[in-house]
Amino acid sequence: MSKAITIAGLAKSYEGKPALRNIGFEVREGSCFGLLGPNGAGKSTTMKILSGLLDPDRGDVRVMGKELRRNAAEIREKIGYVPQSITLYEKLSAYDNLVFFGEMYGVRGGELKRRIADVLGRVGLADRAKDAVSSFSGGMKRRVNIAAALLHRPRVLIMDEPTVGIDPQSRNHIFEMIRSLQKEGVTVLYSTHYMEEVESLCDELAIIDHGEVIASGGLGEVLDRFGSQAVYLELNGPQESQAQGQEQEQEPPAPAGFDRPERKDRGWIVRTNSPLEAIAAWAEACKAKSLPVKQLEIVRPSLETVFLSLTGTTLRDT
Amino acid sequence: MALSIAVKEWKLLLKEKGTFFWLLLMPVLFIVLFGSVLGNLGGSDVSVPYIDLDKSAASQSFLQALGEKSGYKLVEKNPGERDDQLSRIRDGKEAALLVVPQGFANGVSGQGGEQASVELYSDPTSQTVAPLKAAIENVAGGMRESKIEGALMAAGETGEQLQAALASPLRIDDKPQVASAGNAVTQVVPGYTVMFVFFVIISMIRRFIGDKTTGMTARLRTTRMTPIGYLLGMWLAYLVVALAQCSVLLAFGHFAYDVQLGDLGAIAALVITLAVCGTGIGLAICMLVRGENQGMAFTQLLTMGGAVLGGLWFPVEYMPKAMKTVSHFVPQYWAQKAFQDIMVRGDHLAGILPSLAALAAFAAAGLLVALLRFRGFMKSALD
Repeated sequence: MSKAITIAGLAKSYEGKPALRNIGFEVREGSCFGLLGPNGAGKSTTMKILSGLLDPDRGDVRVMGKELRRNAAEIREKIGYVPQSITLYEKLSAYDNLVFFGEMYGVRGGELKRRIADVLGRVGLADRAKDAVSSFSGGMKRRVNIAAALLHRPRVLIMDEPTVGIDPQSRNHIFEMIRSLQKEGVTVLYSTHYMEEVESLCDELAIIDHGEVIASGGLGEVLDRFGSQAVYLELNGPQESQAQGQEQEQEPPAPAGFDRPERKDRGWIVRTNSPLEAIAAWAEACKAKSLPVKQLEIVRPSLETVFLSLTGTTLRDT
Repeated sequence: MALSIAVKEWKLLLKEKGTFFWLLLMPVLFIVLFGSVLGNLGGSDVSVPYIDLDKSAASQSFLQALGEKSGYKLVEKNPGERDDQLSRIRDGKEAALLVVPQGFANGVSGQGGEQASVELYSDPTSQTVAPLKAAIENVAGGMRESKIEGALMAAGETGEQLQAALASPLRIDDKPQVASAGNAVTQVVPGYTVMFVFFVIISMIRRFIGDKTTGMTARLRTTRMTPIGYLLGMWLAYLVVALAQCSVLLAFGHFAYDVQLGDLGAIAALVITLAVCGTGIGLAICMLVRGENQGMAFTQLLTMGGAVLGGLWFPVEYMPKAMKTVSHFVPQYWAQKAFQDIMVRGDHLAGILPSLAALAAFAAAGLLVALLRFRGFMKSALD
């Protein structure tokens, strides 16, 4: 499958402070690519460069095989950019906002009317078209914000944290819309704080921190390569003690040949790349101490654990 | 593309009720208020209370002659109200009280050997007293002429001899050099029209800074919109607003207060140049300021300072010589001068060309600054 976006060696500084050091990744046409990273990691700068808003200091950026700077006008026609902030005129209706954006993309007349009806239907706001945007909830505004980027039927949709601060209903609408666009062959570059969104939506991802890609690839590939597995153990005893209002929790023995267990939720966890051996060893150790095992299982690595292991911090702490 | 941006701006302005207040209602209120305060907007005769203690044909004749003088309206009071009226003068509530004493008719006719007199009680701080005194003296002069005329006729003088004897040795040959008399309305209507054209800048600043801070300018840059298209569209929107504003205010002056607009072609040329000038300077301010508050401060300085210096609130002739010179450096002066040249002096396009050239120079300077600073504005909007 051909590449919709190819970025290599991308660097950008603001007043001498590097925002991007050496960003590189590829996005397959028709895929949904997640860009994950904490605030200030360089996600927005990368997206602004892709959208033609910023010039990089160096690096190669190609969209649909064409070099960005030399083909800026042509590429602009192919890209839809959904900024992080809600950029709509609050006093105008959703319809009037979309008329304006449509005309800015060069769509006019009956065709514009048809496309407005189409995008409003996609974001589930066809019945609120004539209402002022100021009367909308945050989630509805975000949906109109996305609709405005679809009017010119872009081949690549760049979405910069499009679900910040929205209600679950709007989030679901957005997810459904992205999946539907993907089915139509639209490539989506999706930046977010929320790892569960990447896990739910994206085929591939890149994790950015301090202006560099620290991990990238298919979701499973990244999890396998960077996420350590773990074994989770929960005993019966502590629960019963808690029910009686007593603090008689007992630390279970470490499985022979593995690290000491860490506290997690109501049980304990041991990180390991040999989970089957760890389960066997831990079951044996508990049996030797006559500790009643309630739950003992392998925990699949998540992006959160990947990010934690790569950066030493959680996304929301940053 | 520029037209789409302008249409969007007009839609936004129509949704903002405050815009109508600032750009149309406020100047109309100012015109009505200051026009009324400065007089000449109908029913502005000075009210003069009087007490006629003589109640004679002579006293009635005197009062009728005074009442016929332009600008005075005599209001009769009862003799019992005299103390109350004097108290009102002392309190500054009335300017004067005219009392025609008993025996006035005898004094006028010369019977009894005493000169006729009237009593004028007045507040010396009032501006209306001196003209009132002059009006009374004028009536008294007329009475003196009648008295001389009667005496000469009794002495057997003919009508021609009488006319020759009473004719003034000096005749004022009044040759007005302007098409119509200037008054408060011809000062206030163009004055506030010019002043509020520059208030359009406030709306411009709010839109430009708003677009920049919300990220709208950056987002639009991801569309087909070119930076120059954005600048032109925004300018066009407010240029048309300024043109409409001028048209409405001048039409209000014409239909509500019968202001004679003069050569409409010259007025149109002036309004267009003024609108280009105001919005051109507005664009420059939008590109120069870092935030809305800074922009408001700039605009207040330009609109208020320019209004005072440009003679929008009161004629430049009242200013000290140095300020008169300084006034040439504000665009408002040239706009007001051109309006007065057309409306009062009856000038046509050729006569106001120097003023148009001055306004065009201010407009060119504003647009040049805007163009030079626009790249920086866009860069800061995209970062």
